[in-house]
Amino acid sequence: MTAGEIREHTSEQPLTALDAPGGETISAEPEQVTSDAGVAALNGPFTTRQLLRLDEALRMADEQTGLAFSVYLGDLEEPVRQHAEKLHKQLEGSELAVLIAVSPNQRVLEIVTGNEARKRISDRDAKLAALSMAAAFAGGDLAGGVLSGLDQLASHAGRS
Amino acid sequence: MSVLSTVLIFVIIPLAAVLIISALAMAGSDRKQRSRRYRPGRPYDFQPIWFLAAPEQVNAGPDRTGPDRRALHRHEPHAIEGPVIEDSSGAPVLPGPTGGASDRW
Repeated sequence: MTAGEIREHTSEQPLTALDAPGGETISAEPEQVTSDAGVAALNGPFTTRQLLRLDEALRMADEQTGLAFSVYLGDLEEPVRQHAEKLHKQLEGSELAVLIAVSPNQRVLEIVTGNEARKRISDRDAKLAALSMAAAFAGGDLAGGVLSGLDQLASHAGRS
Repeated sequence: MSVLSTVLIFVIIPLAAVLIISALAMAGSDRKQRSRRYRPGRPYDFQPIWFLAAPEQVNAGPDRTGPDRRALHRHEPHAIEGPVIEDSSGAPVLPGPTGGASDRW
């Protein structure tokens, strides 16, 4: 291939989102360069800024404590506690995992700590975090409640 | 002061001011943004979503009614590997009990 020679891109993956000329720009249609999970998150109840803060909070909590925090936001089947525990079991290394499951429709939240995580975050600490989260949710602040809950749980767990 | 100027000052100009201000107010309110906000008591109709620092941590368990699997990267190799103890219904079982807390609002 000599300099200046034009080559067709044969790979599946386009080099940029603008490879097809005449399409929408990335800023007009961010879905072009966002993964499926990202698109699902963008269509959720949070703004981009809230999503970024949540991502940062999750990463910081994981790094500092060595536990695996996760937040589930959606309907839970009855009985709610069992469903939350079932979700918790799906997590890799679930004995070190902490799941915060929030169901805004049912107005219920569950914090599930794994067997090892439970030694770091006592049920009392979890209840305290749940109380402050529920207070924020009752005021309509989903993102703030999740963030403060994560913060409390992480600080109760301490550094690894 | 003629009738025409009276009407202009006391009717036309106030009306124009009211129209301009209300038009600006309507244009400024971002209705789409506001409707996405959760309010207690209002229905919350978004897809279930699961936030993790590392999405490959989730095992695709036997529960297919959970959140959207595409959002959980179910094709990650972790979903297949890993020792999982299963109970009679096929659900993975932990060796120990779980703790935590619940609350309602």
